[in-house]
Amino acid sequence: MGYRPRLAKRMLFNRRGSLIGAVLAVTIGILVIHVNFVIFQGLYDAIVRDIGDYRTGDIIVTDEDSFITKSELAVASWFERNPSVEAVAPRISASAEINITKSGRLIEETRVPVVGVDPYRDIKASTVHTTVSDGSYVFARNSVVLGTNVARDLGGATVGDSIKLMVVDRWGEEQIRRLVVSGIASSPGGQGFDYSAVMHIHTLRDMMARDGETGSFMVKMADEGQAAAVRDLFLRSFPSDDFVAETIEEASEEQLQGFRSGIAMINMIGYFGMMSSAFAIVTIQMMIVNGKTREIGILRALGARRRDVLVIFIMQGMLIGAIGAGVGTAAGLSYTFYAKETKMSFNNSLPLEVSYDWAKILQTALMSFALAILASLYPSYRATRLVPVEAMRAV
Amino acid sequence: MLRARSVTKSYGQDATRVTALRDASFDIRRGEFVLIVGASGSGKTTLLNMIGLLSSPTSGRVIIEGVDTTRLDSSGMAAFRNRRLGFVAQFANLLVDLTILENVMLPRQIAGGGWSRGGRPRRDALELLRSVGLEAQAAQRANKVSGGQAQRAAIARGLINRPSIVLADEPTGNLDSVSSESVVRLMKDTARRLNQTFVVVTHDREYFGEVDRVITVSDGRVYEEEEEDGRRAPGPGGRQGGAAAAAAATAPVVPAPAPTAARQREVLP
Ligand SMILES: Nc1ncnc2c1ncn2[C@@H]1O[C@H](COP(=O)(O)OP(=O)(O)O)[C@@H](O)[C@H]1O
Ligand SMILES: [Mg+2]
Repeated sequence: MGYRPRLAKRMLFNRRGSLIGAVLAVTIGILVIHVNFVIFQGLYDAIVRDIGDYRTGDIIVTDEDSFITKSELAVASWFERNPSVEAVAPRISASAEINITKSGRLIEETRVPVVGVDPYRDIKASTVHTTVSDGSYVFARNSVVLGTNVARDLGGATVGDSIKLMVVDRWGEEQIRRLVVSGIASSPGGQGFDYSAVMHIHTLRDMMARDGETGSFMVKMADEGQAAAVRDLFLRSFPSDDFVAETIEEASEEQLQGFRSGIAMINMIGYFGMMSSAFAIVTIQMMIVNGKTREIGILRALGARRRDVLVIFIMQGMLIGAIGAGVGTAAGLSYTFYAKETKMSFNNSLPLEVSYDWAKILQTALMSFALAILASLYPSYRATRLVPVEAMRAV
Repeated sequence: MLRARSVTKSYGQDATRVTALRDASFDIRRGEFVLIVGASGSGKTTLLNMIGLLSSPTSGRVIIEGVDTTRLDSSGMAAFRNRRLGFVAQFANLLVDLTILENVMLPRQIAGGGWSRGGRPRRDALELLRSVGLEAQAAQRANKVSGGQAQRAAIARGLINRPSIVLADEPTGNLDSVSSESVVRLMKDTARRLNQTFVVVTHDREYFGEVDRVITVSDGRVYEEEEEDGRRAPGPGGRQGGAAAAAAATAPVVPAPAPTAARQREVLP
């Protein structure tokens, strides 16, 4: 080993306090970014996941008008023929008025969103059925699943209760059906149908006087990467229909935009954290340089050039950066692993979608490494400005 | 081998200007053992720094081995210091993060792998450590040895690149008398054995016994003191150096400050 890396290493390692301080600064900077990523990107991804799982699938097909008039079979079988599509489910929605007689008292809820589903297809394309915590999913023409909040507002409706549900049909007539509560839906994080009612699509179509019509098709991909391609192919295959087909990203853009800028801001905070670790490194390196004034003078007297002194302290910065990036990344990965294994949830409800973004992990590590070197530039430069005679004068 | 011509060094600007060295001219020949003496603040260190290329004279020239060193740039001076000069400071000479051996090897490593006058740095350094009696301390960290041992290691380090001149600024200034004597003896033995040129600033004139020349600095001016050969000869190998030094300590032969006009003459080119 040359004398420069050796000196860089020894000067740092013989000063435990400085070494630990500098490495800790880098580590904390990285850890903050990892923790932010796990929580906020995890939250974002969880919301995207739930929107897809519960509402849109990977592609959502609607119509320029409110309803799709093309036959359910034609659309569904087109998608089902595509090998990268896993399942497709038709849905139709309306706004309903629900009432229930509980211990002789009539309780009424207005403007409840109601979704009609095809029970057979829906359980393949969506995970809404898994949110039924009590009873079972819609299975018969007259069964209804109440979101937990709707059930609560209806005075604590439970499985087996009978309700009256009213919608206004396309002609403006009130249509009323008596339905039996088959289950109560409660989704972790509340992104599901906790504020809605779910019923059989045939019954709802019938009530709305929209026989054979569909509100939307949610398409679940076997290969999510193909979503955009399948969407394009679908639109080309039905050129004369007024279909609107969007991937989940497009469909939920508005909902997610605000969230994304929130994440960007939190990332900024992470980067500010990194900046402050850079300042910590500047301080620590300055302390080392000041403590080594005389020895730097001796080095120069022995013939080390300014450049050699610069290199020694930059190497020290590289060491700090490398160790800090290593320890910080290890700490960040441990936290991510912990979050994933314990199925960490936000606010004790919404399970985070924890993932390892290797590109970002590498980028964060490299950035901290580079920042540690950058932070060492000024102290290193100061070290080179020491005049040997003056340096050796210092006691 | 070394020629100083009208070397002048001033510090500061205008009103606060201090001329620490005024028009110093002298020659040093190969193999000479030269002492620089004088009162505190007289300009000894300034003079040594000029011939050691640690700072540049305000005017005048320092020519070493035919090279006009005042013409070198910063890295040229660094390379010159590295290959042609050895340094021993008053105290804290060593880099405390390195071992004694690594300290001794350092000038060779600074010179780079390509440059070595015979032998690998490690072997040469070990041999030098043996010759200064520090073989056993080779692997010790530099802050674990005594002051005398550190100075011996610094001397070994000063020799590793076979320099033209070894410069020492009060090398015994921080040592007790026993250590001082052994450091002085080491320098004088080395000078004789290797025909190595030494220029040593000292307050402890008496430890050195007979030397080739004594340069006295007084108030920034350089005088050469006549040295009568054999007058204080310590004998071969400097074995009696201790006794001579002890005698000198009780009755100093050479009073350090203010040499009388009779015993000095200004050295002119
Ligand atoms: N860097 C400096 N700036 C200003 N004055 C200095 C500087 N170095 C030395 N001097 C002055 O120059 C004079 C000679 O100093 P120096 O060579 O250190 O003397 P010595 O080594 O003989 O004790 C002193 O008056 C000292 O104060
Ligand atoms: Mg001095």
